[in-house]
Amino acid sequence: MDLAGTLRRAARGMREEARLHLVSTSSLAIAFLCLGVALLMLANLDALAGAWERAGRVTIFLRDGARQDQIDELTSALSALPGVASVTHVTSADARREFVADAHLGASVETLPTDAFPASLEVELAGGAGRIGSAAIAERVSQVAIVEDVETYASWFDQLHGLLAAGRGAALGLAVLVLLCVLFVVGNTIRLVVAGRRDEIEVLKLCGASDRFVRGPFIVEGATQGFVAALVAMLTLAVAFFFLRDRVDGALVSLLGAHAVFLHPSMALSVLFAGGLVGAIGSALSLRRYLAV
Amino acid sequence: MALLDLGRKRSSEDGSPRSFAYFRQGLSRAQGAGNKPILVFDGVTKFHKPDQPTLRDVNLSIERGEFVFITGPSGAGKSTLLQLVMRRQSVDDGRILFCGRDIARLTAASIPHLRRNIGVVFQDFKVIPHWTVLENVAVALEILEMPRRLIRSRVAEALERVGLGGKGGQITGTLSGGEQQRVAVARAIVAEPALVLADEPTGNLDPHLALDILTLFEEIHATGTTVLFATHDHTLLDQRPHRIVYIDDGQVREARHGLRSFAGGSTSEPAKKEPAAPTKAAARGVASPPLSPELSPLFG
Repeated sequence: MDLAGTLRRAARGMREEARLHLVSTSSLAIAFLCLGVALLMLANLDALAGAWERAGRVTIFLRDGARQDQIDELTSALSALPGVASVTHVTSADARREFVADAHLGASVETLPTDAFPASLEVELAGGAGRIGSAAIAERVSQVAIVEDVETYASWFDQLHGLLAAGRGAALGLAVLVLLCVLFVVGNTIRLVVAGRRDEIEVLKLCGASDRFVRGPFIVEGATQGFVAALVAMLTLAVAFFFLRDRVDGALVSLLGAHAVFLHPSMALSVLFAGGLVGAIGSALSLRRYLAV
Repeated sequence: MALLDLGRKRSSEDGSPRSFAYFRQGLSRAQGAGNKPILVFDGVTKFHKPDQPTLRDVNLSIERGEFVFITGPSGAGKSTLLQLVMRRQSVDDGRILFCGRDIARLTAASIPHLRRNIGVVFQDFKVIPHWTVLENVAVALEILEMPRRLIRSRVAEALERVGLGGKGGQITGTLSGGEQQRVAVARAIVAEPALVLADEPTGNLDPHLALDILTLFEEIHATGTTVLFATHDHTLLDQRPHRIVYIDDGQVREARHGLRSFAGGSTSEPAKKEPAAPTKAAARGVASPPLSPELSPLFG
């Protein structure tokens, strides 16, 4: 197959129908931008969940009447464990004070007795310890006599994972919608182009051109449309992301404890590749009935 | 399909397809190939409406290197006959042999190879108006995937032959009707096909230009190419002593040596070697005798 000739004819076709291709590529870029935003949100949710899991936390509630020496001994033992970053003793009074300060529920909360808030040890895990580390600590300390209960936030993480799975499903659905949209737009654009160049196709066929020869440039045009639209969308998304990140990243770190992340390069490249591939397929499908001359 | 596969092969010297030389008169490789008719219609029937055949049991043999007028009233089936040869339509009954191969039985994938061996010129030119003259002619060679340098030289040669030398860079749509038809002729002959089909090529041209185009086809014929020239313009037939195939009511009658031989009833004679194509001077305005009473109803 004469690839250079095919590319030359595709370039000529795109020059001749430049306006149509521009409009079509713009529509596709918007569709890909929607997909990119969905993927970006998903990537950040993933990153947030990962960060929270890695920086695990365990709260060990102490029995009423636990002596200070017992608490100190447990604190030392926990601090010596691998993967433990810090252990903080929160007394009943500290817990009540924090609750009153954070809850903003008014004077009614201040009347609650101090012993309504159990004393606890707040264990911060070092990065990478994660859920497995939390579970291991919980299993160990639950045997200790002064420990009333251990909270590893596992159910909270399970809910977060459920949320992420739903988010992934939604992004996948959106991706399918976008790809169908790309097929539709590219197919219709190529149909318009083909209708405008029906005479050209007829001449080619009467001169002995094979279907492959006729189809080649149109497929290149469709693939180019899809690829360029995806590229424009990814570049737009990147510019917007890095522009906004500088303004909101500080707030995100203090609120959520995680930085905003952009799409992984392999994901961005996959979007570009998918754009080209779906563009080519849409073009090929739309051409079939025009080739019978 | 050895015949059709030939279109893909290239000679080692210039990269041009070898099939065309094979088909042309006097250059045949196979001993018997030159003696066989290039085109045979064997009991060909084509229906466009049920019980009303456009062509009915057509039997016709075209020898290599012949120039044949196909004529008859509008709607008689001239274009259908040519479209069957280039496989734009398929026969309903009978067979069409091109160089001994039944083209009615070709698969869809083989049809392009058939068409690469046939040059076609249409009444409405079928050139791409926004392409340059060079691009319009070159497309026939690009399909053959020839090197660009060879395409340029072959196109320049073809444009010289049709009198458009130096106009390769012009946008085709800006040319006159006669020139656009010459572009179409150049495209038809640039790949040096064995057979050229001309479907009313002078239909959109004034009489003077029509004669010019006919002369051009005769010059192409003089190089050994077989030409089937469909026209309903009897003034063209009248001035040239070529074989005439007359189609009416789906049936074919023929005269071997121009209109005047029709009156002599020589339709059953075998094909004879044609005289050389007339000169351009002879092509222009040579007065012809009035038609015989027998031919007047046919061509008047």
